[in-house]
Amino acid sequence: MNAITTTSCGLLEVSSLSKSFGGVRAVCDFSFNAQPGEIVGIIGPNGAGKTTAFNLVTGVYAPDKGSVKLDGVELSGLRQDVIARAGIGRTFQNIRLFKGLTVLENVMTASDPYAPYGFFSAILALPGKRKADREAADKAREYLNMVGLGGMEDARPESLPYGLQRKLELARALAIRPKVILLDEPAAGLNPSEVRDFIELVRRLHERFNFTIVFIEHRMEVVMNLSHKLFVLSFGKLLASGDPETVRRNPEVIEAYIGEEE
Amino acid sequence: MDYIYSILTLTGITMIGVMGTYMVTGLTGQFSFGQAAFMAVGGYVSAMLTLRFGLPFPVVALLGAAAATLAGWLVGLPTVRLRRDYISLVTFGFGEAIISVLNNSAQLTGGAEGLVGIPKRVDLPLVLVSVICCLFLVACYKNSRYGRQSLALRTDELAARSMGIDVNRMKLVTFLFASAITGYAGVLYAFYSQYLEPGYYNWTVSAEWLIIVFVGGINSLTGAMLSALVLTTLPELLRFASSWRILIYCVIVLLIINYRPNGIFGDWEISRLWKKKTSAGASKA
Repeated sequence: MNAITTTSCGLLEVSSLSKSFGGVRAVCDFSFNAQPGEIVGIIGPNGAGKTTAFNLVTGVYAPDKGSVKLDGVELSGLRQDVIARAGIGRTFQNIRLFKGLTVLENVMTASDPYAPYGFFSAILALPGKRKADREAADKAREYLNMVGLGGMEDARPESLPYGLQRKLELARALAIRPKVILLDEPAAGLNPSEVRDFIELVRRLHERFNFTIVFIEHRMEVVMNLSHKLFVLSFGKLLASGDPETVRRNPEVIEAYIGEEE
Repeated sequence: MDYIYSILTLTGITMIGVMGTYMVTGLTGQFSFGQAAFMAVGGYVSAMLTLRFGLPFPVVALLGAAAATLAGWLVGLPTVRLRRDYISLVTFGFGEAIISVLNNSAQLTGGAEGLVGIPKRVDLPLVLVSVICCLFLVACYKNSRYGRQSLALRTDELAARSMGIDVNRMKLVTFLFASAITGYAGVLYAFYSQYLEPGYYNWTVSAEWLIIVFVGGINSLTGAMLSALVLTTLPELLRFASSWRILIYCVIVLLIINYRPNGIFGDWEISRLWKKKTSAGASKA
């Protein structure tokens, strides 16, 4: 037991996170942090517990142990939607868009929890509601333009090609204006040119908003190009951390991947 | 002529009831097998208030809808936390329980013999106006932040939560609004038929409404309304075929579900016809 209370200036501070499912220790004593504006990669072999770690941070599961602090505020144990509103946005490994809604409406759901009108203005379509919805739609359009989905507002998300669905999910996560955005294998299923396109897009968005990004990825091209800092998970435990070049040369990391990396 | 009037009136009332089912099933994706019970609550409460205290119709209409909302709150508060399949069980149980209560409190409700002597306050024009008003409210609801959040959680609760949507609250709000609308349908029915009996509101009615919603389109208010119109009048139109009509009705429903699993209209809404034009104009500007 290391009961060290660290006072650090990390924007996202995750310490000794643990979660077991039955007898399986999915995540064990995993700590990582991200400074404001930093791009942090989490890598590791399949089944290492990366997605579980994301699910713990975003409140999908409550951790057995450990803490998640955003801007010094403890978030672990809170409801998933409360954590999202506190400023953690995310995308999913297997894209999860809202099929019943249009592309534009998918992004609008980000502002809906805060929309400044109540039940009665909604059902009577009062001017205040209409104005608020118009503004929300304009804002959503901006996010769509940013990721290159301008002009597809009225399309159905399931009719978009895979690469664009990924972008839409990114736009939707951006639209909640998160302090930290978690991307779970954002480049999975993209072809090489889409991957390069994606790296450019993330760079551009990062320059513009300077938010903190934590991402899980297997594509080394993405990992090496984007991340300022890497954490390596293996069998639920932190194996190594540091800047990408050091981690890349770490013999333990190479062993964990059994050459998969090169 | 009276006969056609009465079919149209009852169809209109069914359409309002179906709006409630549409909201619960079409918007939040839950199955309510007790939706008709809210109609019973609305109908009985308003009728008893009139018979006992002589309150005027507009007041009891509001109170009836309010009572249905309250009942919705009692059922909804614990059930929104449950998984979807349990919700159908709970609402089913609630619906049957309401019928039992109505049957067994004979001094208050007239029991199985029914509640008689309700004054006639509802006619076809009032029902038509009600259908239009309710349709407006429900359509606005669907096209607001409430509707969007409900539809979002319908497809993916986990992703909805990750967008900051309070899923349980959203389900409850939609469920309450649906209860109120269905309760109002109950008020209209009570003051139209002038006679209430508990057996009218059992789960087969709720199931029929679900069928109507699914035939019309899983997520189309337009579809739900048209299918309510057709499927309630259809058994009447098929009356010449006497006992075959139920069979014909079932075959039509089965064919539609089989060949159009998303219902006739899927998620198409009539409002898209003019929305497309305006958004095309906006993007050019």
